[in-house]
Amino acid sequence: MIELRFHRDVYVGECVDQAVKVYGKLGEFELVEEDNHWLVKLTARNPDKERKIAGELGNYALGLSAKRRGQP
Amino acid sequence: MTALDRVPESLVSADSAAGAVHLTVDANIYPLDAVFAAAFTFMKRHWLFVDRPDADHYKVTLAAKDGDDDLGSIAGDFANELLSCAYRQRLAKESRATVEAVTFQAMAGAMGPPSLEELEDFDFSDDAFEDPLGIAQSWEEKYAKKDKTADDDGGDAATSDGDKTDDTDDGDAS
Repeated sequence: MIELRFHRDVYVGECVDQAVKVYGKLGEFELVEEDNHWLVKLTARNPDKERKIAGELGNYALGLSAKRRGQP
Repeated sequence: MTALDRVPESLVSADSAAGAVHLTVDANIYPLDAVFAAAFTFMKRHWLFVDRPDADHYKVTLAAKDGDDDLGSIAGDFANELLSCAYRQRLAKESRATVEAVTFQAMAGAMGPPSLEELEDFDFSDDAFEDPLGIAQSWEEKYAKKDKTADDDGGDAATSDGDKTDDTDDGDAS
């Protein structure tokens, strides 16, 4: 299992949710709200792909958040 | 975590086992928008995560997708791109008014001069703006001579004052 922490000042919560939806078929996801972070616990169906899914999910959430905040 | 050559450990550290490099970015120098812009250029070949350990810093984590890239060069390239993005944003912010003015003039010029029909329909009789403080009054309106009746009243008052003064003077003299 991989835990991804997305800081609330950087990432938009809806964008993290959207990213989880996009990659939802590739594994099991648990979303937890912390004080400063959105925490996503990822367990991939294929353990060999877990790191790749985590990375791509992070990029997707970052890209959506950047667009939502007006950049680029 | 290991330090990279020629780079302060407080700014950049590498995790060779995970194939990732961490950059600490001063939020007062590099705005979040610049971090986003720099991140976009690296997304094709890298995975990126941005954290905010404290109010004054961002922590950017980069990992190469293929795992072959040199961590030091990744950190250096990202730092250069980040600096470039921050500077470009600053220039854009400073020259925004100029760009808007030039664009507006170009658009207005492209529309061409008004036709005779448009000028004919234009209502020139409307007041351009309201002027409650009378700032737009002409010199003649503002400093025009008062009516005779107003002058007479003022004159009487001045005369009566003058009389009082004269009386006082006379008293002193005697």
